[in-house]
Amino acid sequence: MAEPVFLEMAGIRKEFPGVVANDRVDLRVERGEIHGLLGENGAGKSTLMKILYGLYTPDEGEIYLDGDRLDLDSPQDAIDAGIGMVHQHFQLIPRLTVAENVVLGEREPATPFRPDAESPIPEAVRSNRVVQSVAERFSLGLDAPTRRIQRLADRYGFDLDAGAKISELDVGQRQRVEILKALYRDVDLLILDEPTAVLTPTEAERLFDSLDRLTDEGLSIIFITHKLDEVESIVDRVTILREGKNAGTAVVSEVTQADLAEMMVGREVLFQIEKEGVDLGEPVLQLQNVHADDDRGIEALSGVDLTVRAGEVVGIAGVSGNGQNELAEVAAGIRQPTTGSVRVDGTDLTGAAPRQFVDSGVSFVPEDRLEYGCAADLSVMHNATLKEFRDQRFDGPLGLDYDELEAYAETLVEEFDVRGVEDVTETKAGDLSGGNLQKLILARELDRNPALLVANQPTRGVDVGAIEFIREALLDQRMNGTGIVLFSEDLDEITDLSDRILVIYEGEFVYETTPEEADRDRIGLEMTGGGRAGGDQRPSDRHADVTAAASEGER
Amino acid sequence: MNVEVDLTARESTPRWLAYGAPVFTVLAALAVSALVLLVVDVSPVDAYSMMFYQTITTQIGAAQTLITTVPLVLAGLAVYLPLKAGLFNIGAEGQLVIGALAGTWVGLNVSLPGYALVPLMFVVAGLAGGFLAAIPAWLRARYDVNEIITSLLLSFVALEILSYVVRGPMRGSSGNFPQTAQLPAAARIPELFMRVHVGLFVALLVVAAVSLLMRRSRLGFEITFMGSNDAAAVQAGMSRIKVYLLVFVLGGAFAGMGGISEIAGVQGRLRAGFEPGYGFTAIPIALLGRNSAVQVLLASLFFALLFTGGTNMEIFLGIPAALVEVIQALIILFLITGEFFKRYRIDVSVERGSVTPDTAGGDA
Repeated sequence: MAEPVFLEMAGIRKEFPGVVANDRVDLRVERGEIHGLLGENGAGKSTLMKILYGLYTPDEGEIYLDGDRLDLDSPQDAIDAGIGMVHQHFQLIPRLTVAENVVLGEREPATPFRPDAESPIPEAVRSNRVVQSVAERFSLGLDAPTRRIQRLADRYGFDLDAGAKISELDVGQRQRVEILKALYRDVDLLILDEPTAVLTPTEAERLFDSLDRLTDEGLSIIFITHKLDEVESIVDRVTILREGKNAGTAVVSEVTQADLAEMMVGREVLFQIEKEGVDLGEPVLQLQNVHADDDRGIEALSGVDLTVRAGEVVGIAGVSGNGQNELAEVAAGIRQPTTGSVRVDGTDLTGAAPRQFVDSGVSFVPEDRLEYGCAADLSVMHNATLKEFRDQRFDGPLGLDYDELEAYAETLVEEFDVRGVEDVTETKAGDLSGGNLQKLILARELDRNPALLVANQPTRGVDVGAIEFIREALLDQRMNGTGIVLFSEDLDEITDLSDRILVIYEGEFVYETTPEEADRDRIGLEMTGGGRAGGDQRPSDRHADVTAAASEGER
Repeated sequence: MNVEVDLTARESTPRWLAYGAPVFTVLAALAVSALVLLVVDVSPVDAYSMMFYQTITTQIGAAQTLITTVPLVLAGLAVYLPLKAGLFNIGAEGQLVIGALAGTWVGLNVSLPGYALVPLMFVVAGLAGGFLAAIPAWLRARYDVNEIITSLLLSFVALEILSYVVRGPMRGSSGNFPQTAQLPAAARIPELFMRVHVGLFVALLVVAAVSLLMRRSRLGFEITFMGSNDAAAVQAGMSRIKVYLLVFVLGGAFAGMGGISEIAGVQGRLRAGFEPGYGFTAIPIALLGRNSAVQVLLASLFFALLFTGGTNMEIFLGIPAALVEVIQALIILFLITGEFFKRYRIDVSVERGSVTPDTAGGDA
């Protein structure tokens, strides 16, 4: 072999009942590079990485690391071989400190028992194997590990206090703790599974800086993503998977985003969305001075005013956890505001039951598809007709005509191009991929031609092809006169689709702009509350119908 | 030697397994029970032929099985309906008892001709059972109080009320037994044949009604959805309180009717401990038959057979009652374990010799 390859996965094949998740996939990663792994949902990225991390055993194929053949039966084998993985969902214990989380699962004896420490215990006793093993089992010393963790964190510029509790850290810091967990175990290859999905643009920048420093030190990184701009900004080389097969490997600097998208989807992808002008109609949603608590009873919305007119898309940008979910739920009628009023389509629905919101023409695309959007165990038919089954046209001799329901579900599946449905009454919603499930939910919510659509992160975790489809469906619906509240952490999505943009921070609107005037840096700053200290312009100065109570919240 | 047991969730249950599992598990249970029978010196072949074959093929045995099916299927549906909505009604026992009590009171104290009195007794029994069941449902929907605990504890309340009433206010005038007076003839459910009473029709009607409710009505759609994901159901405008109350009240009413049918159709008077825990047997019945009301009926028939056949073994073969219960319990246990195998695959792999003992331990 001419060039030294650090990691080589050759001819990996993994079959699950009914699907070939990886079909003779090859992956070669060089030492010190950031290697992107790009593909739509269901393209086999996760399967490939789970094989590399020892969670799955491949049916065929071989893995070589630094020339040695690896036989990985468990994540422990992978870690021992020097492979670490940071999952999309953090696996940290909030009540423990950074250091405690990092050493979790390792045996760290108390200081007096450590071979390298000053100790009253004689060396001969300490080095005894039995004593060592008992000490490792029954004592825990965090001093030395804490110092080592702190050194590691400082070396890579992680800005972390090893003694801080996880619950005190923000999302970006927590992610760095996850990376530390891997580094502490001396890995040479780090797998990051969609690391930016939970980060703000600023936090993502920081992560990229950290990753650069890691690779400078000789670490190799596999970066799983389906965001093309990330590939462009951080990745050296990228391997693209499509339907479980290699769709090519490219040096990022030599290709365009459009090339990558085409390799990934298998056809040309439109990035520019045409948005036509539309005349705004009557207000379909009016929130006045809405306060609401989150599930723990802590105030999450502190005086929100929002008016959405027919045919208008209002985009709400913000870092997750700043009241977006609560606001979406209040607008959809699932969460009762503690004070303030909610009017839908001119009718006061403050305190009304969710059913009245549904009947008044409110549609809702919840953030968490599986938890709120569908019943994963039930058929596509049940899920497709969830909002419409009360309609008269489904009247049957004994109440409900299931044949009609089935026919209706079939038309929705057809119209919205929901793939992976064999039989609407047999296929379960939970068996659909993320993008197809989201299309199904969107079909259900849009086909009723709602007055108001509350869409919370409609394209999160959805592949490029489906994103394009969903965005176009939203804009089509806007032409039909639906008012849309769009929550998204993706600023491009907000600026592409919205007529007006509001930034939410700590339960209040702190900034308003339009896509034409939008300044990304300013929005990013406002999202993190940075605009408030020197805030020169209040949204209330410019727009009569949106008054973010920023002045009250001034600290 | 190194044995490795691997447990993986099945993505889908193969068809042969879905239908075969109950059969295999019952056979396995009978095989284990055979050991128990051999210990007490009874031929398992005789015992099983008595328990199953002769119970079904003799008129008395078949009739007794049908009689026992009535309260079992009604109580089974009382657990089944809430189960479809994602709730556990562990209190069918109490609902059945309170229904029997209320219905008996009407039968003893209201004088009407039989064609009016018996339906009235069923209605009152249903109301009483439904009322008792409404309490856990409401507490669950409104305050998120665990319905398993409340419904179970309310069963004990009902059992104690029964125990008090048959010794106190409702004790019959003849003798000192803890039982009520005999129900008048007008309050008895008419017999069809061999002591099988009209209650069987009521039970079949209820099975049909529940089946239609679940398969053909909007309420059934709501119950199904609520049972699968209540958060999504509420988001779509369904009411948790409505659905929870509905399934519990209907279920409680069925159990209550099961109670009065046992008194007015079979026993003729209310006694403390008048029934051998039909309401608790209803739980495994509903778990086995959770896919449809008709399956609940089939499961009830099977359990009725176990009860009747068990009694026959006791009487004709002299097998101690406790052992009969052991056999019944083993069958139930195996059946429920069988459900587990439908959902999980177990791989056992045995490696020989390849694993060396911890080398570090060998030296020094």
